[in-house]
Amino acid sequence: MDILGYLRPDGQIGIRNKVSIIYTTDCSRYVAEKLYRLFPAGTQIFGYPGGCALREGPLHKITALGNHSSSAAVLVVGLGCEGTDAYMVAEEIAQSGRPVEAIKVNEAGGDLKTIEEGSRILVKLLQHASTVERAEMAPADLIVGTECGGSDATSGLASNPITGVVADLLIEAGGTYMHSETSELLGCADILAERAVNEQVAQDIRNAIKEAEERSFAHGRFSWGYGNILGGLTSIEEKSYGCLAKSGTKPLQGVLKTYGLPPGKGYYIQVGEPMSGTFSGDPEGINQFAACGAHIGLFTTGCGSTTGGLIPVLKIIANPKRMQLIADNADLDATPVIRGEKTIREMGEELYAEVLAVAAGKLTKSEIHGHFEA
Amino acid sequence: VPQKAILLNAIDDVATALTDLKAGEPVSVSLDEVSSEVILREDIQFGHKYALHDITKGEDILKYGLPIGQALADIQAGEWVHVHNCRSEHFGFHREQYGLKA
Repeated sequence: MDILGYLRPDGQIGIRNKVSIIYTTDCSRYVAEKLYRLFPAGTQIFGYPGGCALREGPLHKITALGNHSSSAAVLVVGLGCEGTDAYMVAEEIAQSGRPVEAIKVNEAGGDLKTIEEGSRILVKLLQHASTVERAEMAPADLIVGTECGGSDATSGLASNPITGVVADLLIEAGGTYMHSETSELLGCADILAERAVNEQVAQDIRNAIKEAEERSFAHGRFSWGYGNILGGLTSIEEKSYGCLAKSGTKPLQGVLKTYGLPPGKGYYIQVGEPMSGTFSGDPEGINQFAACGAHIGLFTTGCGSTTGGLIPVLKIIANPKRMQLIADNADLDATPVIRGEKTIREMGEELYAEVLAVAAGKLTKSEIHGHFEA
Repeated sequence: VPQKAILLNAIDDVATALTDLKAGEPVSVSLDEVSSEVILREDIQFGHKYALHDITKGEDILKYGLPIGQALADIQAGEWVHVHNCRSEHFGFHREQYGLKA
């Protein structure tokens, strides 16, 4: 399938084409959302979760998202007195070469005047977005991130191994694949260290999993409960392997500790920057992939989570009962694996074809339903 | 023919039930070149595991091609494999320390 993407001045190629509206404080969120509602077609909105204080993690995240390949142009909306200065954020993003404008509510003269001035800017940026150069894209240009949420027994048995097949196929084609959730990889440190491309990466992943283990231990909280045992899981390791199954079999190229594009192609584990979320949980995970350049998110869910994120998200459901209930939100019906009718490999190949179709423009259910949790 | 259980890696010692299975039932699984048929010695619920062959006490038990724990006793082909006869070295033997109840 031919994928015709959107070429950005920094050389990235996007599969979607949006003007990003970024609020730099909770105090300018109201006006930013008003602007978004005036121009919902062609814009996306996200911002800085907090008030006056400047924190590095979230700041890196909003600039990385502003530089995402789907972002054709950017309007930064600030209040005026916050630490995350709107002009500073705009300047940072402008280094990528994409058009960026900034507006401050304090300077523009309140809500109404900000909306008027902001609207005029958006008209200009939206028109620019419609004229950007198109470029052919290969699977090698794609970055895919995978999250599991609302997991059940079918996640480890079918949907995660299926995404693992996509990982292998994409990486064989030269592409890039990532997941996070080190807290669900307890017991996998040695296995991942063996898959690491060098000793540094091996040490990085050991440390990341050790930190997650210590965090779990300190809080007396593990991703493990009696329900897991009733469901058939014998050990934390077994549950972790079900999660790890979504990583495929390729060598681990690195552990991503900051936002921005991965340094190379292949398989990465993302640990994220602390306290950088607006949401917590699964949408947050998806947006952290987006902040590392992911074009598409894969989301395996047995319980039937419907959340999305700033990038197209494909829902993979292998639980037959849930699939029937929540088909409106599912992108891949993986139940044939649980019914014993198809192999993991066969379903993985179908999902890979679907990923390429979405890259070529096919809308995911999360996009159609308007799930743009940010 | 639809499979009633799934083998996740060709080197695994266990298969996982895709539906509730009954003692005495013959169950076959296959993956690539590997296939195995055993008669179940116990009921195996959906999501639970049975041994594909005899396992000796102390051996690693593999699922996904990786050790989920070690056998606490000799386990015969077709037996249920779970917390009563399999426990992981790292977390399982220190489970009180980790606040685990099972």
